[in-house]
Amino acid sequence: MATPTSPSRSADATRRWLDPAFFDFWATRFNPLWTWAQPRARLVERRAEGEGAVTLVLRPNRHWRGVGPGQHIELGVQIGGRWLRRHYSPSVTSGGCFEITVKHAAEGRVSPYLARDAQIGEVFELGQGFGDFAWPAGTSPITLLAAGSGITPMRALLRAEAARGFDRDVSLLYWVRRAEDACFTAELRAMADAHPRLSVRLWVTGEGAPRVDALTQAQWPATDTHVLACGPGGFVQAARQRAEGQVASFQAEAFSTPVVTAAEEGEVDVHLARSGRTLRLPRGLSLLEGLEAHGLKPRHGCRMGICNTCVCQRQSGATRHLLSGQHHDEPAAPVRLCVAAPTTDLILEL
Amino acid sequence: MTRPANRVLSTTELQAFGDELDALRRRVTADLGPSDARYIRRVVASVRWTGVAGRALLFLGAFVPVLLWPAWIAGTLLLGLSKILENMELGHNVMHGQYDWMGDAQLQGSTYEWDIVATADNWRKTHNFRHHTYTNVRGMDDDIGYGLLRIFPEQRWKPFYLLQPVIAVVFALMFQWGVAIQDLRIGRWLHGKMTAAQLWRTTQPVARKITRQLVKDYVFFPLLAGPFFLPVLLGNLVANGMRNVWTYVVIFCGHFTADAEVFPKESIRNESRGHWYLRQLRGSSNLAGGPVIDVLTGNLSHQIEHHFYPDLPANRYAAIAREVREICVRYGQHYNTGSLPRQFGQVMWRILRHAFPSRAPAPQPLVQGA
Repeated sequence: MATPTSPSRSADATRRWLDPAFFDFWATRFNPLWTWAQPRARLVERRAEGEGAVTLVLRPNRHWRGVGPGQHIELGVQIGGRWLRRHYSPSVTSGGCFEITVKHAAEGRVSPYLARDAQIGEVFELGQGFGDFAWPAGTSPITLLAAGSGITPMRALLRAEAARGFDRDVSLLYWVRRAEDACFTAELRAMADAHPRLSVRLWVTGEGAPRVDALTQAQWPATDTHVLACGPGGFVQAARQRAEGQVASFQAEAFSTPVVTAAEEGEVDVHLARSGRTLRLPRGLSLLEGLEAHGLKPRHGCRMGICNTCVCQRQSGATRHLLSGQHHDEPAAPVRLCVAAPTTDLILEL
Repeated sequence: MTRPANRVLSTTELQAFGDELDALRRRVTADLGPSDARYIRRVVASVRWTGVAGRALLFLGAFVPVLLWPAWIAGTLLLGLSKILENMELGHNVMHGQYDWMGDAQLQGSTYEWDIVATADNWRKTHNFRHHTYTNVRGMDDDIGYGLLRIFPEQRWKPFYLLQPVIAVVFALMFQWGVAIQDLRIGRWLHGKMTAAQLWRTTQPVARKITRQLVKDYVFFPLLAGPFFLPVLLGNLVANGMRNVWTYVVIFCGHFTADAEVFPKESIRNESRGHWYLRQLRGSSNLAGGPVIDVLTGNLSHQIEHHFYPDLPANRYAAIAREVREICVRYGQHYNTGSLPRQFGQVMWRILRHAFPSRAPAPQPLVQGA
């Protein structure tokens, strides 16, 4: 989730007199990037990247504060009248732009749209950089474990390290299902050729390569190594188990789309992002009833899904609408607590 | 006055009635998409353009004195139109969460702030929750006469109500102020049920909003016109007044026509969805008039549909209305609609008639066994 900007006192005072929506409406008639506070970016270039992937070059407006190597951003794309928001790992390029790489065959609605349909000049909403990958201090070796799209933050970290000249041993282990799925292979090989302390190894599981938890002791890094892993939830979990007690430190970031189940029984973990609490809530009750059973008193009104008082942001996870029975898993979308039951683990803006 | 015949529904019929209306909601929700998004964006653009054009015309007179009156009249009308659109078709509807599904940060029901002296937060409470959940339930829906007027014979008569033909006119002219103070519950303070400190606290956000609105319309824009200060100020005053009277007329036509009913508190105990729909139907009335009336009333011309589906985009109500009406007819329920003069005539009659003591007709049950 993008970190909200903390407005200063003077910005607060200005906002009281100047409606940002008013400013944005008129300023964006002249230039769609001229907003009062909202970071936005314009698509300026697209180029093919390996098999079935496209790199998009985006120019942000002045409200964007940039990203550190390995960080992510939230990108908002308007499709079919709706703003859909997804996380990407950008690489900052020269000239104040940044790049993201997306695949044609990616699941979901946003990446295929970006890969195929997004037009040069199109404007996207942007979130500030977030993510906790920290390049470990010291000189002990570092191993990066990446699977699928998990390569993008690793590439950004390696680029930053290449600029400093690799003062320690770094190895990248990169898993893909098919060899043609691999991204940035030419760039990574060139980087490894230029820097003798960097090694890059591609594991193609479709061709019989071992999965991360099946690596032999010889293939696995030494015990003084710092490990950073990024990939789907299952991959990161397997890497974490394999690394347990075997390495100097372990950092991981997982991305995964929730597996929607039709189950209406059992319990899920609901994390409340503002208060920092995590609660076990039953799938069979509305979120409002579930939270109240834990003694919480979320703001609410009609308890029947019409007054919108209990609406709050569902950052991730899936919910079931109790009246229509429909499942909703769009991240960063509003949900009414009184008529929504959780179906997967959730993060709520509460 | 004779009441329209409504078939008294059995429990099974009531359930089926609610199910059909729920199914209609599902169909519309599943179909929301680009055309709805385009619609509300067009409304936003209309508000902005008419607003700027209206204010520009008001200034025009300062530089071209011969155009003073024509420009002043056109400017005031356009600014009034802009304020009406912003208030009704944009603000009211967005604050219901009708366009939340678009994920547009500036069109979110929980954060939108509108261009009137009342704060959006108070409105969300008094209107979205109380009025829409407990529509026309005595003692729960403050919108029944707004604590000032006796609209229904079921309200107990007091000599104070003899003044209401005059009070109603003042209220119409000052309507946004009435909305602004509705949630402050000054009456509770007058009756000693709230301390002055409590009232002071709840007043603060309203006072800030009022200051902002007053400075904008009566200081900032008039000062921009320099020596032409006074005509601009008057133009803004008249535009705000137009909006006050128009919103008052539309809102009163929504629930206070001759056939609109009020309900006792007991009626909503363990209320089913079907019963809730039925109560919304019997307490609401539409305005027949077509697309222009629809836009100018923020689609509250489809008050019945709005009360069934307050969170569905208002641009859908006209289409939904055909199906709703058909369902209501099939279940033998009166569908209260009529032209604006007819409906408002009935409202004015109620205000005049119930200024004097009047007796409530025998209550009509909504469902069998009730």
